[in-house]
Amino acid sequence: MGTFTECCAFCIHGWLAGGTLRLSIERVSKQYGRGPWALREFSLELGTGVLGLLGPNGAGKTTLMSILATITRATEGRVTWNGSDVAANPDALRSALGYLPQDFGVYPNLNAVEFLEYLAAVKGLDAVASRKRIDELLNLVNLADVRKRPLGGYSGGMKQRIGIAQALLNDPKLLIVDEPTAGLDPEERVRFRNLLSELSGERIVILSTHIVSDVEATATEIAMISQGRLVAHASPEELLRKVEGRVWEWVLPSAELNAARQRYLISNTTRRSDGVHARVLGENPPSGAQPVPPNLEDAYLYCLSQHRAAAVAA
Amino acid sequence: MVRADFLERVRRYSFLLTIGFAVYLGYAAYAGHIMLRLDEYRGIYNSAWLGSLMALVASAFLSLVGFYIVKNSIQRDQDTRVGRILATTPMTKAFYTLAKTASNFAVLASMVLVMAAAAVCMQFLRAEDSHLDWWALLAPLFLLSLPCMAFTAALAVLFETLPILRTGMGNVIYFFLWSFLLIGPAPSVMEKRNQPIPAIAYFADFTGVISTMGQMQATVRGIDSEYKGGSSLSIGGGGEQPPSKRFVWRGLTWNMALFLGRLTWTVGAMVLGLIAAAFFHRFDPAREWRARASSPSPAAGGAADAVLAEPPPKAEQSAAHLTPLPQTRARNSLLGLVGAELRLMLKGKRWWWYVVAAGLSVACLVSPLESARGGVLIAAWIWPILVWSSMGARERRNETEALIFSSARALPRQLPAVWMAGVVVALLTGGGVGLRLLVRGDMVGLAAFLAGACFIPSLALALGVWSGSSKAFEAIYTAWWYVGPAHHTPGIDFMGVSAASSQPEVFAAAALALVAVAYWGRRVRMGYA
Repeated sequence: MGTFTECCAFCIHGWLAGGTLRLSIERVSKQYGRGPWALREFSLELGTGVLGLLGPNGAGKTTLMSILATITRATEGRVTWNGSDVAANPDALRSALGYLPQDFGVYPNLNAVEFLEYLAAVKGLDAVASRKRIDELLNLVNLADVRKRPLGGYSGGMKQRIGIAQALLNDPKLLIVDEPTAGLDPEERVRFRNLLSELSGERIVILSTHIVSDVEATATEIAMISQGRLVAHASPEELLRKVEGRVWEWVLPSAELNAARQRYLISNTTRRSDGVHARVLGENPPSGAQPVPPNLEDAYLYCLSQHRAAAVAA
Repeated sequence: MVRADFLERVRRYSFLLTIGFAVYLGYAAYAGHIMLRLDEYRGIYNSAWLGSLMALVASAFLSLVGFYIVKNSIQRDQDTRVGRILATTPMTKAFYTLAKTASNFAVLASMVLVMAAAAVCMQFLRAEDSHLDWWALLAPLFLLSLPCMAFTAALAVLFETLPILRTGMGNVIYFFLWSFLLIGPAPSVMEKRNQPIPAIAYFADFTGVISTMGQMQATVRGIDSEYKGGSSLSIGGGGEQPPSKRFVWRGLTWNMALFLGRLTWTVGAMVLGLIAAAFFHRFDPAREWRARASSPSPAAGGAADAVLAEPPPKAEQSAAHLTPLPQTRARNSLLGLVGAELRLMLKGKRWWWYVVAAGLSVACLVSPLESARGGVLIAAWIWPILVWSSMGARERRNETEALIFSSARALPRQLPAVWMAGVVVALLTGGGVGLRLLVRGDMVGLAAFLAGACFIPSLALALGVWSGSSKAFEAIYTAWWYVGPAHHTPGIDFMGVSAASSQPEVFAAAALALVAVAYWGRRVRMGYA
């Protein structure tokens, strides 16, 4: 069995086989004013593929995404895009960037076509080529039927899909999507995951989310972030191997569930006719628990809990 | 609820600016930049005179500026979505609008308190009378200014609940309403210089200026039979010499009519707060959508649907079928962006807006040149105020900053494109005048016209970028337009509506400076240039 150090050590594979695309994040830290540090000494090397950035709310994911999208500057550290320092030459990255923020608005009086045409103009894209691409993108995100309706009347999910479309306008080589499935129904969520998988071959995709299932379906590498620090960086298979033998299914009466939560780390519970089936994570299982194959959510929760325990001990 | 709303406001950076403005008013009165005079007379700086001076300054200026400061309390609950939570509580609409009125009043009253403190400081700094009479000092501020502030606070809430007045148009309309309230009973009182102030004047006296000035005039008249009855509260002194004579002002005589007059404005504030409740939409999305919609509801299922129905699912499209983009950048990308900004600015107006704009544009071409320049142009360059007011603030208001700031060369391209689009709007609406000045060979007039066409969008852009709101430009531009070009006032006529008032070099330089200020402000907001 591995230790916390083995599980959450920096298994940095370095995407050195990723061709010419390279995004380097070197000891990046961010402090807002004189408050707490939102990000601390975060380092990562990325090449083509989909990186799933997993972390709880407030972990620093959006801060990191904002820095990579050149919205805000890092307090310390450096980001380079294909060898070029982003601080010195941000437009080199911006020219290749597609960014879907966690929170964004639209211009309510414009329709979908006009809004995307506007953003295409802001990005300096050729007007004729943009129009064709906009038509295709609206078909891709299933908004072609409402293309001429003002955005002010769109639902949250429709606005999110417009956001996805605008992120793909300039055929980006670096696609950053921050909580992209917020507001999408299950069907649209599946469509989006499939889309990300299709896009990942020739570009760097960073998918920032706290929803493990989004990452599970699409990511080829996973980075976990907690309290502004990198907790783990590995492939999904490696993370699962690290937590193998530490996941148990335990059937217990529902009246004992609360007490059980105090003693054990429980990742999931399902109520069945014979009681509550709880997934327990840890080295020492409760009596009667049976080992089960781990999933990514187990790995995520286990690594986070180990990180927090180490932080408290320190 | 009042306390929570007040705390929410005072913990914002903008509140410091608000208090700073009140401090500035106090300083301006101390330094003589704001002058209260009765022809060649002014009162000695005792508690009564300073209290009255500060009360008049507070009433006159805070009733204008303060309105714009507090006219956002309901909008804030809307923007933060706290309103949706409030709507689910047993809170009544009247309770809400009265609470908002009280919160607005608290903000304005805090500014009056600052001016009261300024009055105390001023008395000691001027040292003409060191005896501090608290009643004489504070009574005008509390009994004249506070009712005025209460009414202003209530008007702000009422405006926020009414469909047209809650928009930028309301900001423009309020300036003219304020002008009317300020002047109000003045003409009838000024005609009767040697007679007591009629009781009705007290009830129609929004700011307390008439009541105060009337009693001051009577006092001076008692000292000097030659006194002709003039009085003024002015900014900047107008180049006049300071008053050379002094008199002792012992404070207002509080008669029943004066007291009841102030009470009327206070009660009026509460009545306005209750009237606002009748129009308040209680954050109902359907009513908000109908108020915003400029066209009939497109949603299937009736007027209650606030959003479009989801389009039916289609067969899955593939990202592999997306047409690759050419590697080269668009040749005329800046022009294309100017066009896109222009479309964004002009989209969404009602049909009659375009008709009036076109009419003004044509009138600039066909009217006699002098009346076109001195009259039609003035109208042509107030009509698009709500178009210009969105410049620089639109990105923050619509939360599109992240989308735009992450684009390549956003600062050197998008900001100039916005400015150019603003200039195009000025040229489209008033360009007929410029064209005719060119044909006539009036190069000075043309220079003034072009300076104005550049100055207006520059002012809008700078104010929008730094304030993040369209309100600052709407308030400042309306007042400046009225006092300057509309009255052909030299020195502040940025349109150059007449040869006498033109200063093209000044406003061209100001336009350049304002563009630099806007650029700096945008640079500050972006992570990288």
